Amino acid sequence: MKTFEYRIHKKIQEIYSVEPNDLGLGILTNYYKRFTAYLKTLPFIFIIPLSFVFAFVLYFLFGKLMVRLVTILQYGF
Amino acid sequence: MAFDRKIFTDIHMVLLISFFTSLILIVRNFVFLIFSPYKTLRKISFEKDYYQPLTIFIGVFLYFKFVYFLRDKPYPATFIFLIFVINFFLTIIFFYFLTRFFDSDQNEKRITFFSFIFTFSYSLFPTLIWFLSTSILYVFLPPPRTISLLGKAFSIFFVAFSLSLLVWKLILFYLSVRFSSKQNFYRILYMIILYLVWFIPYSIFLYYLKIFRIPFI
Repeated sequence: MKTFEYRIHKKIQEIYSVEPNDLGLGILTNYYKRFTAYLKTLPFIFIIPLSFVFAFVLYFLFGKLMVRLVTILQYGF
Repeated sequence: MAFDRKIFTDIHMVLLISFFTSLILIVRNFVFLIFSPYKTLRKISFEKDYYQPLTIFIGVFLYFKFVYFLRDKPYPATFIFLIFVINFFLTIIFFYFLTRFFDSDQNEKRITFFSFIFTFSYSLFPTLIWFLSTSILYVFLPPPRTISLLGKAFSIFFVAFSLSLLVWKLILFYLSVRFSSKQNFYRILYMIILYLVWFIPYSIFLYYLKIFRIPFI
């Protein structure tokens, strides 16, 4: 039976398998960590609404061209 | 003879049980990849159950078999699957050898080729979902799309759907390279740029051969 200490040890090994990212500049690293924090857990909470907003913006900018793009994409498989 | 038959049946049972166990783990990992891709892919990079990537590859093969009946004058599904496998292993080999080239001797033992196989197999999920859903939509809502209200509404929905899957794919792709190569952000970015330098012309070549219109990776 695996002990609690064994599981903790394995978990810590897994967590520290990669070094934390350092982008050289403190401010860059700070913004990188803030941005990626949203993508590490439940990213779809942000991805889905932002995708719809982007799709609407694309439609308002390109109109009929977007409908043509979708026609091309539907043949893409 | 009865003893040989028993061993044969036992081996089959073991294979079947291993396959179904891997299938359950794949479904579990798939759900966790939606909710916490970072922790899940980190765990996947340590996996050693080879039935899992094998099962995912069987799923991809079944997809190509399904799509064979929808396409106009297609290549055989087995041939397309072979090209996909070549693309997949070319990608993995490229990243693996680039990582070994960049990395110091200290990390040599921690970087394994099989870690790349596991993480990149799981990063196929967004691709598979998009291709499968597009194929099914081709049956129920065949193109071309019109500029009617329903056509525009569907176009907006399809673009949002495709964008969501693309962002998820990019996240899983980055995390696959990160956890398998164990490199920092700049090195990963550099490796991805080097990868695109040959992958984009290669994809265009496959497009002209009418094998893949959109790269299946």
